[in-house]
Amino acid sequence: MKVPTSARRSAPPPEQICRLPVQPGELIERGQPLSFTWNGRAHTGYEGDTIASALAGSGVRIFSRSFKYHRPRGILTASGLDPGCTMQVGDEPNVRAAARRLADGMDVRPQNVWPSLRYDVGSANQLVGRFLTAGFYYKTFMKPQRLWPAYERILGGFAPGGRIPRTAEADYYDQRYAHPDVVVAGAGPAGLGAALAAAQAGARVILVEEEYELGGCLRWGDAAELALLDELRAAVDASPDIEVLVDSVVAGRYDDNWISILQRGLARVAERLIKARAKALVVAPGLIERPYVFAGNDLPGVMLGTAVRRLINLYAVRPGARAVVLSANPEGDAAVADLRRAGVEIAAVLDARRGEDVRRAVGGSGVKAVEVADGRRIECDLLVTSIGWTAPTSLLNMAGARPWYDPAAARFRPGDDLPEGVLAAGGLVGDGTVEELVAHGRAVGAAAAATAGFGAGRPPPALDVRTHPALFRASTHGMVDFTEDVSSQDILAAAAEGYDSSELVKRYTTATMGPTQGKLETVNTVAVLAEATGRRIDELGTTVWRPPYAPISLGALAGRTHEPVRHSPMQSWHEAHGAAPLIAGAWIRPDHYGDAQAEARHVREQVGIIDVTPLGKLDLRGPDVPKLLNLVYVNKWSKLEIGSVRYGVMCAEDGVVMDDGVTGRLGPERYLMSTTSSGAAAVWEHLEGWLQTEHPDWAVHIAPLTTYYASINVAGPHSRELLARITEGVDLSPDAFPYMRVRTGRIAGVDECLMWRIGFTGELSYELHVPASYGVHVWQALLERGADLGTAAFGVEAQRILRLEKGHLIVAQDTDGLTKPYEAGLGTLVKLDKDDLVGRPELVWQQQLGEQQRLVALQPEDGSIVPAEASQIVRGTAIVGRITSSRFSPTLDRSVCLGTVEVALAEPGSVVTVLLPDARRIRATVMPELAHVDPEGRRLRV
Amino acid sequence: MFQIPCPHCGLRNVAEFRHAGEQRRRPDPQTATPEEWRTYLYTQANDAGWTRETWYHRFGCRRFVGVQRHTVTNEVRPADTGPAPSVASPPAGIDAGAPDAGGGAM
Amino acid sequence: MPSRQASARYSAFGLLRRGLTHRDWPRVWREHDLAPAYDAVIIGAGVHGLATAYYLAAKHGFTNVAVLDKAYVGGGGSGRNTAIIRSNYLTPDGVRFYDRSVKLYESLAAELNFNVMFSQRGHLTLAHNDGSLRTMRWRAEVNKLEGVDSEVIGPKEIKRLVPFMDVSPEARYPIMGALYHPPGGTIRHDAVNWGYARAADALGVQIHQNTEVIGIDVRAGQVRGVQTNRGPVSAPVVLNCTAGWASLVSAMAGVALPISTHPLQAAVTEPVKMFLRTVVVSGSLHVYVSQTDRGELVFGASTDAYPSYSMRGSLEFTEELAGHVLALMPSIAKLRLLRQWAGLCDMTPDFSPIMGITPVEGFLLDVGWGTYGFKAGPVAGETMAELIATGKTPQLIAAFDLARFAEGRLVGEKGAAAVGH
Ligand SMILES: Cc1cc2nc3c(=O)[nH]c(=O)nc-3n(C[C@H](O)[C@H](O)[C@H](O)COP(=O)(O)OP(=O)(O)OC[C@H]3O[C@@H](n4cnc5c(N)ncnc54)[C@H](O)[C@@H]3O)c2cc1C
Ligand SMILES: [Zn+2]
Repeated sequence: MKVPTSARRSAPPPEQICRLPVQPGELIERGQPLSFTWNGRAHTGYEGDTIASALAGSGVRIFSRSFKYHRPRGILTASGLDPGCTMQVGDEPNVRAAARRLADGMDVRPQNVWPSLRYDVGSANQLVGRFLTAGFYYKTFMKPQRLWPAYERILGGFAPGGRIPRTAEADYYDQRYAHPDVVVAGAGPAGLGAALAAAQAGARVILVEEEYELGGCLRWGDAAELALLDELRAAVDASPDIEVLVDSVVAGRYDDNWISILQRGLARVAERLIKARAKALVVAPGLIERPYVFAGNDLPGVMLGTAVRRLINLYAVRPGARAVVLSANPEGDAAVADLRRAGVEIAAVLDARRGEDVRRAVGGSGVKAVEVADGRRIECDLLVTSIGWTAPTSLLNMAGARPWYDPAAARFRPGDDLPEGVLAAGGLVGDGTVEELVAHGRAVGAAAAATAGFGAGRPPPALDVRTHPALFRASTHGMVDFTEDVSSQDILAAAAEGYDSSELVKRYTTATMGPTQGKLETVNTVAVLAEATGRRIDELGTTVWRPPYAPISLGALAGRTHEPVRHSPMQSWHEAHGAAPLIAGAWIRPDHYGDAQAEARHVREQVGIIDVTPLGKLDLRGPDVPKLLNLVYVNKWSKLEIGSVRYGVMCAEDGVVMDDGVTGRLGPERYLMSTTSSGAAAVWEHLEGWLQTEHPDWAVHIAPLTTYYASINVAGPHSRELLARITEGVDLSPDAFPYMRVRTGRIAGVDECLMWRIGFTGELSYELHVPASYGVHVWQALLERGADLGTAAFGVEAQRILRLEKGHLIVAQDTDGLTKPYEAGLGTLVKLDKDDLVGRPELVWQQQLGEQQRLVALQPEDGSIVPAEASQIVRGTAIVGRITSSRFSPTLDRSVCLGTVEVALAEPGSVVTVLLPDARRIRATVMPELAHVDPEGRRLRV
Repeated sequence: MFQIPCPHCGLRNVAEFRHAGEQRRRPDPQTATPEEWRTYLYTQANDAGWTRETWYHRFGCRRFVGVQRHTVTNEVRPADTGPAPSVASPPAGIDAGAPDAGGGAM
Repeated sequence: MPSRQASARYSAFGLLRRGLTHRDWPRVWREHDLAPAYDAVIIGAGVHGLATAYYLAAKHGFTNVAVLDKAYVGGGGSGRNTAIIRSNYLTPDGVRFYDRSVKLYESLAAELNFNVMFSQRGHLTLAHNDGSLRTMRWRAEVNKLEGVDSEVIGPKEIKRLVPFMDVSPEARYPIMGALYHPPGGTIRHDAVNWGYARAADALGVQIHQNTEVIGIDVRAGQVRGVQTNRGPVSAPVVLNCTAGWASLVSAMAGVALPISTHPLQAAVTEPVKMFLRTVVVSGSLHVYVSQTDRGELVFGASTDAYPSYSMRGSLEFTEELAGHVLALMPSIAKLRLLRQWAGLCDMTPDFSPIMGITPVEGFLLDVGWGTYGFKAGPVAGETMAELIATGKTPQLIAAFDLARFAEGRLVGEKGAAAVGH
């Protein structure tokens, strides 16, 4: 046994004074004691205990304090829904202590207490409770407005819940896809029957149970029921077609039976989210016992019938010494029998079917007595109520079905409006003996299998629905929502104020908004509302149940992160040479190798190579490619000769610039289109869209080649000389291979390499596209063979400097979501005398109207100042433009910019005011050309 | 995660597709009035009920496929017979999936 | 202005007195029979419809007004949103407009005598690449020029504001900076809706829940009234404030809109003790998060990628959301998601609303609020009320007219949306 270090060694663990002798169905392993700490003090329990059962075994009665009034709370349901049993376990907040198995060494603490569970200062709120009615905060703290932040902090201090760690060891979560024929949610008698019948019909079944064991209510049944459970369990174990998931929950049912299952209890995996596309879903969660509303109904010692049955039968815990039981159904009667067997003195049994009732529970930190409706006062430490049920229809509602209220059964029942492939079984649907529930489950399971294509299941027989007295509230007021501290009085008051529909009362009082999401509270809320408004429960209806059925951790939903990352083949070289990474969408690229300014200077003076693999590349083939190009680019393409390339700009139908790039003609019917890196996927879809929908008759085939090639741009005055050393089969002389041409040849021994003579940098340059697997080889060959020429790698930042010096725009940086070509200085490219052109009408109209803004080159008068990109160009306080790109130019030894300005200011020589982020205003001059360096284009044409 | 019956690939998760808009006709770009053209660009029927629309099977056959979808229940059925959808190219840049990238955030 | 009975005023003293006497408060708004005619009918009891009704009555004495809703007050987007309020938009028009709304929100609790819990806890929009950092700076610069408090801050400062944030450069999407907007924050959406409803009701406006408009009467190019499930109502002015349903309602008047309705989903976790004070938005990761005074984390994301009127929500939304939230704050993996929901958003092509007149005289629009309209409730109500009362379109909303689409004058908020990738 691990002894938690935090345990106060001085205090020995308390005796397990409330443990019973061995019970027939008990889950605890008495030979396996566990130790843990509760509230800092050492405690013991057994393997198989829940945290709450272990504490209850040692006689602990107060488990937490409530949210608003800090009232002491104990065990109510002894299940995962127990509102009083939410605890901090280690660094995990909000653990359902009545559902979480005890583990050795757990450090368990109460939440919402200060300074201690026993003496809680916040409980003073109880005294002022009558003023803190639901929604009180809407009615006060309005004035003075400036004090609200202070009030807010105080309110925030009352926020319920545990603590989340700032740093935590990363747990391992994962996900799985499953394709079962049938998913069965709930493994009580009906769920077990359904799984068995579906499997017998040949279906593959996933059977999901929220608790640690199969069986549901059979687990706390009598000897016959335990025997039935053994039999069913054995059959399930023997069926190879049933995958059993315990400690797991069907959390959601989404469109087309897309089902989320949260699986726990795996080795080394904290939690797993299973996403199942099931042909059929059988919902068999049984019923949830509903608390009763009366004064003191939240005192420690007030428990539901199912809670005492669980405590006694599953954990051998005696829930009290002397009990009063209010029973309206057989479950309550069975609880009486269990209590008797456990040696609990039965002070009184009040039979609600005969009109007997409680009035209030009396006590401070726990029940001391019960006042009965007839006026008697009975001393006791335990009050057990079994007054009715809630059908958890949530998964069915997610499938679109609306529950309806059946006054005879005093509960909502699933409607018949279930979509195909969603079925309900067992207690959710009706009442019956366990044998009848199993039989119903079997019939539904067979029907589910039939839906999935196995066997010919007939529609399942209907289950009887027994009448049940309608009990919601006694003659006194008590808690309706325990976690939210909302009382029946709050509901009445809210209704009187006009918050009188199910939705409004929920929102106003916050009833049903807590961790159980209304599974315990919804029906009582609606019933009290009905009482308040004089309407019937069925008129009011319930609020919509929203997914998930049970809370799911963010870790499980996230699973392992699979954020794809794209690299060029040369990435390892970049990393080895100290490249700073630049994250560009999915791509990781070398931003620079230490000094971008030096890299840029080097390109202007000698020769550099840059990895431009992410550039989008599309192979276009077929006789109709020119038609496509004419359609999608603003300029003309009919006369492009083989071996030539051309720059093009693409617009969308609204005339806004969407991408740019060069396209070259490699053969009679073969073209290669390049796109921006970020636009590659969108452009491909754009082209496919036009081809497939508007022009299916055009013969064009598109293949994406972006990663088929490794792409390298060789730039600088020595680039021709460098390439000449490693290129075969291509005449590189300026006459044979002039600017804006493309050639295919052998580079560094690699065949079928493409060479384009183009340049973003403004230098003599060649863009090489080599088969990707030879990328590193060619890259290294360039560096080695060009060492004496000073060949060096440059990164994206240097390229940005160079392109800005040259005045080349970047789409989506120097343009925005409304920029048309004329505004981007691209107007001369646009050729409107074509039959068609994407966005043509908009371009025609803009040409007629003239543009209001224009992209220009700007130079600050003080060349040492680089205005931050996005600095505004202003006249007084009016915005008249914006700096879109700016860098320090190593070539000119001064700052250079691109920006958009109002047309009136776009004339060369005009001086504008740039407002810097630090509020300084500087002057900048509009340049005659977009290019700051070599506007004549001499350098790239050599 | 509802499913779309792709005529080429069969029933597939919607996550494999991109919604390419309601089916509509592109006006003649030579003669369209601003009114007509911008109605085509911007105006949708946006009906609550069965709608004819185009989806692009982005992570599948990469075909633009026509389907009928009920926009309240997201039930999908194949477009009944007839030619391929007439237009499936809404103006690029209108990507309602990413309103909060910049100024439009919550 | 008819004044509310003194005893019905909300105050700490009133709470105390009623607590002692156990007397109920009067109804927040009353129920009425539907009258055959009103001076104006407003369709939709969300924040836009209710605020318009309130300002009509409070500022223009225009009280013979009915607000009709097919469901309940705040049952649409106004009761489903994540209630983020800010004014750090991109265009000067946008900034001025939303700034006016923030100003109105700042004094709304006192004005309505209803605590709307406006919590100006600061708003951070993260930038994970240089492109979005540039957009943040663009917004900051425009904001500053318009007198709105916004600045770009770096990872260190972000860490100080949000200690749980992973600002390490090794992150898959490292945080390069953020737009910090101190006056931004959150509000209690229901309280805003109810506060406007209560104040409008007190001034004589009638609010009709469960009253669905099923037709709009138009004759000779002029609106005459509406048909409802409770019978016909005539009115010379009909205002459409139905957000996600706006196209359907406008179609009843024969007005087609450039709107497509997309679900927007949100989710909330179980409560934990306060650890996140500011609102955090990441455009690149499509996620935003804030912590309520009740300790819950509230998450939102982008709209669903296809139009739909379904509000059932999807699993993939929660999966992506969780993945991205954990990328920002890795230590909160054990926190559990409690509930998810969806609302309908009326998306326009330029991420800006459509406000004002239509080709049908008297039929007015206040729609196109997309994912961002809650914050605009007060200013939209104020300006639409002015339009109804005076017949003149206020300058503040002139840029948002319906005609801009046919005339090709889209609003530049779209610029930022397209640049922010
Ligand atoms: C999940 C989510 C998160 C959001 N987050 C934010 C945020 O953080 N910040 C922000 O500013 N905005 C946010 N929004 C957007 C914001 O919620 C909406 O823009 C805003 O609430 C719209 O208000 P409204 O009054 O125009 O419409 P709604 O509140 O949607 O009201 C429209 C009303 O019209 C009614 N109606 C419809 N048809 C009819 C008919 N035929 N007859 C009668 N009544 C009818 C509906 O019942 C509804 O009540 C979010 C939206 C969602 C869905
Ligand atoms: Zn396909």
